[in-house]
Amino acid sequence: MNSLFFYISEAVIGMKRSIVMMLISVITITISLFIFGVFLLISLNLNNIANSINSNLEIKVFLKETVTKTERSKFKQAILKLDHVKKVNYTSKNIAWKKFVKEYPHLNLDNLFENSPLPNSFTIGLDNNQYILNVVSNLKTFKSWVEKVSYGGIIAERMQKFSYYIKILGLILVIILTIATLFIVVNTIRLTIINRQNEINIMQLVGATNNFIKGPFIIEGILIGILGSLGAVIFLKIAYTFLIIKCNKILPYIPIVQNKLEINIILVSVILLGIILGILGALLSLSKALKRYSFNKVK
Amino acid sequence: MIKLKNISKYYQSNSLILNNINLTINKGEFVYLVGPSGAGKSTILNLLLKIEEPTSGELFIDGVSLLRLKDSKIPYLRRNIGVIFQDFKLLPKRTVFENIAFALRFYNYSRSRIRRQVYQVLDLVGLTTKLDCYPTELSGGEQQRICIARAIVNNPQILLADEPTGSLDPETSWEIMTLLSKINMRDTTVIVATHNRGIVDDIRKRVISINKGAIARDEEQGSYNS
Repeated sequence: MNSLFFYISEAVIGMKRSIVMMLISVITITISLFIFGVFLLISLNLNNIANSINSNLEIKVFLKETVTKTERSKFKQAILKLDHVKKVNYTSKNIAWKKFVKEYPHLNLDNLFENSPLPNSFTIGLDNNQYILNVVSNLKTFKSWVEKVSYGGIIAERMQKFSYYIKILGLILVIILTIATLFIVVNTIRLTIINRQNEINIMQLVGATNNFIKGPFIIEGILIGILGSLGAVIFLKIAYTFLIIKCNKILPYIPIVQNKLEINIILVSVILLGIILGILGALLSLSKALKRYSFNKVK
Repeated sequence: MIKLKNISKYYQSNSLILNNINLTINKGEFVYLVGPSGAGKSTILNLLLKIEEPTSGELFIDGVSLLRLKDSKIPYLRRNIGVIFQDFKLLPKRTVFENIAFALRFYNYSRSRIRRQVYQVLDLVGLTTKLDCYPTELSGGEQQRICIARAIVNNPQILLADEPTGSLDPETSWEIMTLLSKINMRDTTVIVATHNRGIVDDIRKRVISINKGAIARDEEQGSYNS
């Protein structure tokens, strides 16, 4: 306990003595980890969108205005005969409109139209989503009744691919940034070590173990890492909150992840990465320094 | 206590630093290492601290072979050896108290115990009033006494001094040497590498004269020159 207190006070002294480098390190870590966090949040959201599309993967057939009630039930029977079709539900245009208004209450659509602007439609569920393309092309052959066939498959697929590339790009960027950050942290702590070369020498001569000598520098690394990552977390929080507000206004139909747990996992991992960077930086700068000094001449 | 057996030391450039040194120093002895600059006095001190390794030969402290001592055990060897330098090597940004307490830090002693031990050792060197001064506020002699205090604060069995009076005037040098004798009386083995002829001749102790890496003379109650 005594020595932990000693490590921390020594680390603070060391950081004060090379304050400029220390600040540069903290800012670099903040920037790198902020970018890291942004990529994590983007990929979280893309995956979320893809999942929400995938989970209600169904085919919608919009009917032409001219289709009569008898034609409609004929068509329904025809659809049910297609392979892999499990169920067919009819949605009248009025019900569709009511549903739409209810789903997007913040758009204030209530009294915009007298009659529903949406077409009548069939919603088709499959027993296996794999055959969705076959079913879609079959449906398209009923040209006289069908206005449009839509399904979310392609979008979901593209979204997942996009999210995958974003993840890869993010990973590459994070690796590059991590190396650059590590380099700066190593140099900052090395500066403290050079500042304290005398102290290290004397500590070694009066019998301090290497671990004891390393302590303050590792604490310094941890403190730099914590400060830097806290900065990143604060900026991420602000930016994400801002994004949620903006997105709800401009792109209200995009489901932004607001789940506290998932976001907090990202923020915690940002802080952990910051601490790991700090410790790694300290260990790297020390491995050279202690070797160099331990057989330094007394005189 | 300290035993050097056929110790030789070369550097890569083939320059011979120590040539077949055989030497035994008993517990509680006071020994001068004398000789011209570059004779190898400091190298012997470095070997005892395991800062340097001999090229050949064997080296024992209390029967423990330093050559076979693992690197991780070096700190524990050094805790038993106090060191005094010509240039004091005090930390300028720390007070006298902090400088001395520095050598006690890794013992996990309580604060009050550290305070007590620092005070006792300052009492021994006669500088209890300078507890909160910075080294730059002290005279050379006072700084050397602080350096001595730091070297002996954890009661080492051996005290090594490398030119302890090298940058001090004769009167102060005398005070420092008297202090070292006083420490020696507490049964601490003291080894002083020095150029200071006056001191060696006035305070008569065992004199080991090193010349060109070899022992030229080893004399009880000796003088600087034979």
